[in-house]
Amino acid sequence: MSRALYFLFAFFLILVVLVLGLQVGSFESDLGTLTEALLHYNPNDTTHFVLVHLRLPRLLLALVVGASLALAGYLMQAMVNNGLADPYLLGTASGASLGAIIVFFGFVPITLLGIYMPPIFALAGAFLVTLVVVMLGYRKRQLIPSQLLLAGIAISALGTSIVGLLTFLSDSESKLRTVIFWSMGSFERASWAMLPYPAVALLLALLLFVYYQKHLNILLLGEERAQALGVQVARTRWVILITVSVVTGFAVATSGPIGFVGLIIPHVTRGLMGTTGRSNLLFCAFVGGFFMLLCDLLSRLLYPPAGLPIGIITSFFGVPFFVYLLIRKNYNFKG
Amino acid sequence: MLYTGGIIKIRSLKQKQNVSLYCKIKWQLCLCLLLALAACNQSDQVTQKQIVLEDDLGREVKLNRQPKRVMALATSMTEMLFAVLDTSTIVGRTQNDDYPAAALTKPVVNNYPVDYEQVLRLKPDLIFTVEGITPLDVAARLEELGIPVFYQRYETVEDIFTALEDIGQLMGREQQAEHLADSLREQVAQIKARHQQQEQPLRVLGLAGYDPIYVYGHNTAITDKLRILGAENVVEETYEPLTREYILKSNPDVVLGGTPQELEESFFSIYPELRKTNAYQNRRLYAPTTDLMARPSPRVVESIRELERFLYP
Repeated sequence: MSRALYFLFAFFLILVVLVLGLQVGSFESDLGTLTEALLHYNPNDTTHFVLVHLRLPRLLLALVVGASLALAGYLMQAMVNNGLADPYLLGTASGASLGAIIVFFGFVPITLLGIYMPPIFALAGAFLVTLVVVMLGYRKRQLIPSQLLLAGIAISALGTSIVGLLTFLSDSESKLRTVIFWSMGSFERASWAMLPYPAVALLLALLLFVYYQKHLNILLLGEERAQALGVQVARTRWVILITVSVVTGFAVATSGPIGFVGLIIPHVTRGLMGTTGRSNLLFCAFVGGFFMLLCDLLSRLLYPPAGLPIGIITSFFGVPFFVYLLIRKNYNFKG
Repeated sequence: MLYTGGIIKIRSLKQKQNVSLYCKIKWQLCLCLLLALAACNQSDQVTQKQIVLEDDLGREVKLNRQPKRVMALATSMTEMLFAVLDTSTIVGRTQNDDYPAAALTKPVVNNYPVDYEQVLRLKPDLIFTVEGITPLDVAARLEELGIPVFYQRYETVEDIFTALEDIGQLMGREQQAEHLADSLREQVAQIKARHQQQEQPLRVLGLAGYDPIYVYGHNTAITDKLRILGAENVVEETYEPLTREYILKSNPDVVLGGTPQELEESFFSIYPELRKTNAYQNRRLYAPTTDLMARPSPRVVESIRELERFLYP
């Protein structure tokens, strides 16, 4: 199948899952109500309100977050030249969790000036931890991927243990539940007001890497050869690093740390499109978004009305596919 | 619920087998062990009444004699024990127990994680607890240490009263327990009589957490409390985390879960869509006392009265 066909197919699947997902919920709705709500929105009709203000932003957030994580995962794997890398390697997830939990446990008021603080602090935590990890991975005016990896693991572990300590010392059951839920990810807070942040970050990243795609592929050949082929390795790494931390930061801050998408989808992309496909990044984002939407739909069908925590579903359905890719003979990370 | 005997035979049989095994290895030991066995059997005959009970989880709870020193590993259970027992038979409390005031005079045992050493120091004959508060592996460890654990489980208000009677029976305080349970039943019946003629029962949502939205499901005590008050729990699910859409659909008349200001800041500001509900529109938002809501204890009647004041001001 040609690449254009793959794209068309992915786009079609996204549309199908989106339409299906819009019809699942506590309020009864069918295709007719859906088109009615989208074309002739009636603010006094509660079903319309639910479709447009609850379900649609929720699904779009799932789409954006799935795409963001898949994209960030692809970039990270290219940067450290290792198929085990995922977007949270820089400590983003544990930093975001720490930030959010600091608010949940009452060290900071839960709303300041009418703004709900947990996502803001999650974003700040993600960036702060990433900054520390990058500082540790920076030697002799260079980013050293292996050093970055180790620093990421260490700082993540530290963040996780601080979260664990706070959880242990928690005095209320509802705080505990909040923390557990946060760690498994959820799209329930989605709204039109918050959607633009992760969406704009994702779009900018996609635009940027339409230009940098070639550099990425050359980077896979290894540092020396990339240098020899005229790629400014150091600069490319910085661009990747900043993009990954911004895109992942927004994704985690809005929906919590959702696992496996960022690890699996890049492999799926390379498996389908080849290791050095020209439009791999875009396709990766598409597949990531589709996968997240599908998982969200499945979670709500399996366990209505609230749905199973999304992180459970992503790994439950993602891992078997990942294993299939691993045992398939003709797939190899470096092509 | 109670039956005795039957256990001793099994125990002495095991000991005899042990003896013959040891004889083969070192026959000099045989005599000593036989003597020990004889002593053992004698003491068994003295305390022949081993009591085997079944708790609310269907677990077997074995007691060598009627318990004289007990304690609870759950805050609500401490309230239950103080309501039925002689205060001197209660040997400790958990770090969170604050009711009744007499509980504060008892030594503290940390219940999360359980401070086994402190439990052993206080030497209770039996520990009472509630399902969901004490993990089963903690109970198993305590039983290894020789302290049986008795679990109770309640779904309805009546379950709490029956549980009081169970405690009374187990501890030889049947009369006190029955008297208390009957008086509580009578109070509940009076409240219930006031609200059975509701034409449009109030539909109530009990919020347990804001982010994620956690609610008191239909399997929790609030459902029965509301039923007594002629109102109903809007939540039909047994589990607790829910979506905005579910709440919008159920459209509660009353939300229990915080003062209007708390709910505004931490709930409706995150989920502005829920401002459409009747409860928000009519400002019927109330903050029930957390301890009364969370603790299934004799104070359940107090809790029902508090809810009554909210629902029918």
